[in-house]
Amino acid sequence: MKVLIVDDQPANQVMLTGLIKRFGHQVSCASNGVEAIDIFTSLAPDVVLLDVMMPIMDGFKTAPCLKALSGDVHLPILFITALDDQETLLRCLEAGGDDFISVPFEPVVLQAKLNAHARVRELSHSLKDKNEALAYHSNRMEREQNIVSHMLANALQENETEHSFLKTYLAPANEFNGDLVLTKGGPLGNFYLFVGDFTGHGLAPATGALPVSQTFFDLAEKGLSVANMVEEFNRKLVRLLPDDMFCAAFVAELSANGERLTYWNGGIPDALLINGAGQVEKRLVPEHMALGILSPDEFSSQVSHCFVEENTRLITYTDGVVEMTNKADERLSERGFEILLLRYACERDFEGLVNALQTFKENQEQLDDISLVCLDCGGVTNLPVSKPENNVTHLPFRLVVYLKEDEIKGQDPIIKLVDSLIHLEGIRAHKTALYLLLAEAFNNMLEHSVLQLDSGIKQTGQGFDEYYRTREQRLAELKDVEIEIDIQYQPDSSLLSFSIASNSENGFIECQENVEGDEVLAFGRGLQLIKNFSSYVDWRDHGRRLYIEYDLSLPPA
Amino acid sequence: MSVSRDFSNDGKQLVIAIKGKFDFSLVQEFRQAYSHIGDSQPTVIIDLRETDYLDSSALGMLLNMRKSLGSSVKAIQLVNAKPDVRRILDISRFDKMFVIA
Repeated sequence: MKVLIVDDQPANQVMLTGLIKRFGHQVSCASNGVEAIDIFTSLAPDVVLLDVMMPIMDGFKTAPCLKALSGDVHLPILFITALDDQETLLRCLEAGGDDFISVPFEPVVLQAKLNAHARVRELSHSLKDKNEALAYHSNRMEREQNIVSHMLANALQENETEHSFLKTYLAPANEFNGDLVLTKGGPLGNFYLFVGDFTGHGLAPATGALPVSQTFFDLAEKGLSVANMVEEFNRKLVRLLPDDMFCAAFVAELSANGERLTYWNGGIPDALLINGAGQVEKRLVPEHMALGILSPDEFSSQVSHCFVEENTRLITYTDGVVEMTNKADERLSERGFEILLLRYACERDFEGLVNALQTFKENQEQLDDISLVCLDCGGVTNLPVSKPENNVTHLPFRLVVYLKEDEIKGQDPIIKLVDSLIHLEGIRAHKTALYLLLAEAFNNMLEHSVLQLDSGIKQTGQGFDEYYRTREQRLAELKDVEIEIDIQYQPDSSLLSFSIASNSENGFIECQENVEGDEVLAFGRGLQLIKNFSSYVDWRDHGRRLYIEYDLSLPPA
Repeated sequence: MSVSRDFSNDGKQLVIAIKGKFDFSLVQEFRQAYSHIGDSQPTVIIDLRETDYLDSSALGMLLNMRKSLGSSVKAIQLVNAKPDVRRILDISRFDKMFVIA
């Protein structure tokens, strides 16, 4: 320990120095306050022995200066005084002294006091270190939370909450929401909703929102089914989450016409369908365990469907709603919530319902995250139906494919051809129609000219099977056959033409009427479809070559 | 699997989804998908959201299904068809025999 002695009497300095060195401490001396202040910082003493009466700067003035220099760490100052009147002692304490020792004194008393103050100094040191560590971690945590907040905000940018048919009330218990409400329109004008509740609340569950939201937006954009969605969520969460963490979830899809609701409920309180009269029409009860618990083998993605009438609303909420408590510490409960819900249901007053919930809670601390969603069903969503871009290519091309029996017997050559063609600019948007034209033309050629099958037998269910059985048999015996498919594109006219012929002696079967009265036949539809989907059809070479033109500049559907 | 078959939780709907190409190569799979539907008169929902290609043989298979199921189902709905698949159904006037939604 380093001790600084501040005393103008050389005799006192010598006496104290000798004594304190014997106690095993290092000693430095100053003759007045100004000297003491000068050497203080470079010396960094642990304890100061300060004389009261000194020239230039006395002890009362020096003490506060030294305290200030020692900063956050406590610096014990012991006044040494011959004056033992109460007033002097009080002034010592007021000036910042921590103790005093009256001359003359017993060495053992000085030693004891020095040791006691050294301990306080030591405590103060460790406190300062801990405070610094705490401040460091607190800053770091804040920074990391900001990063996560930022990522979450970005991850949720695709969330479509601004639809007229959707109302939400989200109240997290703290900065990070362990509940997750995701919404997005699909490619068919359909609409997807995800309401999730991770175990716990705060930062940890909120990070679960990242993989779930990314997956949700991806799959919604692709227009996948609710069953596919929940399988994917579960697969991801089982892999990512620790064993004691999971995510209760309600996932729903509303069809574009608003009439069909498909849902999967894993551990979320009963969602409610409220009819136009403001009554509970149906309870969409949880039928599954939450996401992130069962392995993909054990997991069930079985969904439920309902057909919804006009003016129906879907209400879904997390358990934070029914677990909120009022001043009297009573839970709102599912029953209590439904009473409130029905009070505002007739008027479709969502704000009124939210206000009622807030009134119930008053100023009570909210213990869990709260999410409440109201989705209007039963009417068209009016969401856009996505259409592929239709940029027609400017390069003319010609592709001639000769299919021999081996290619014909193998996997469907037409789908392979179309899969190759769609890589050319502007063709992808038309893939369904092009496949239809090529498949109908090719199958007609193969089945009638080459395999000599009779469409008429397809009229009955058994005939249909028999037809395709015979097709397979004759295909297996096929020899010395060649089918030519000639595809050409002319940018000037934006016409894509197909010319299909075989080396068979027989021609195509010409188009039959496929509708007899109101009866639609199970066969003979192919050539009719070709006529409908193409801009020009012609039988050439005595019916042995079928020529089709398709206009790529027309919208695909 | 190009054809999947799933009953809803209440057993009232049978959803058959066809992925990718819907044509005669799925004759057996498709027939199996609507066999053994029980006596509960479910609604059969053909989900075409992932169907990209369709030809006249698929239309024939749908008509056969309708004939074969007859009154053992409540209704048959063709749902979630993409616009270009929907056009094929519309041109073939399938709205006369199925609910297309």
